[in-house]
Amino acid sequence: MAINNGLKVILTSVDWVYNWAHSNSLWPLTFATSCCGIEMISTSAASYDIARFGSEVFRATPRQADLIITAGTITHKMAPALVRLYEQMPEPKYVMAMGACTITGGMFENDSYSVVRGVDRLIPVDIFIPGCPPRPEALLDGLIQLQKKIRTETLADRKKYLEVHKPRVKLPEDDSEILLAVEGIEIMQWGIQDKALPLDNIEMVKR
Amino acid sequence: MTYIEAQGILNKAKELKTEGFDLLLSIFAQETAENIECIYHFCSTINNQEIILKTKLDKNNPRIESISSLYKTADWNERETFDLFGVEFLNHPNLKRILLPNDWKGHPLRKDYKQDDERLSWNER
Repeated sequence: MAINNGLKVILTSVDWVYNWAHSNSLWPLTFATSCCGIEMISTSAASYDIARFGSEVFRATPRQADLIITAGTITHKMAPALVRLYEQMPEPKYVMAMGACTITGGMFENDSYSVVRGVDRLIPVDIFIPGCPPRPEALLDGLIQLQKKIRTETLADRKKYLEVHKPRVKLPEDDSEILLAVEGIEIMQWGIQDKALPLDNIEMVKR
Repeated sequence: MTYIEAQGILNKAKELKTEGFDLLLSIFAQETAENIECIYHFCSTINNQEIILKTKLDKNNPRIESISSLYKTADWNERETFDLFGVEFLNHPNLKRILLPNDWKGHPLRKDYKQDDERLSWNER
């Protein structure tokens, strides 16, 4: 028991140093698929200056990145590329879902045939930043929240972390471009109850 | 804006090109009650003119000659029209989907399109 506690004390200080270094040098991947990308660029430019939080180096390759900010709508055509980029990032890796489109599908959520309804159906998300698009202050706030989250982690819980951070879809092995869900992962579907409502009830709600 | 016969599109495009319509702005389609209409926008940068051609195609089997041998732009525009409306362009060098995944079912901008692909059940609302 004493040895165990001693190990924990040592690990705690290692954790503190590790988390301090890690959370203050989060390098994001350059991944901008639509208008949220403009806000992300603005955040990295002089007037908002994401470099104050140690994230100034937007990497052009996933192998050097810790964080992926999914800035913009993800379509079914783009989804395999996103999952592949996420899988290529080295551990530990984090995901920030920026904007309405990557949280629920945004304005395309209702009846679009081509848009993925929330990036959390593809990969696990750590921080959601609402807005359409979110202002740079919101993105900076999201970054600070993520830093706070990283500082609570310990190396002892590493296994649990790896378990949670797995993609929720699998890449097809043949030349198909449609992703299939991994079995055993529950997906929250929010529209099914509304579909079952008869039209009269909906009118009543309106009145 | 003029309606022309679907068979004459290649000859008409050749004619327009010799008249100075050197730029193809877009190709797209729209679905009406009876037909699928294929719409071509041509532009002349020399004479500062624009012309719109429309062709009526059979709804069940929409087919038209490709003009990608005359205008390079037509290649991707025709692929998009094929992808979303299912218009088949004859003698196209590389007629496959451009915006949607290559094994997508159906053509989504058709009126009778219904999304019932079981592979995408994880993406329902």
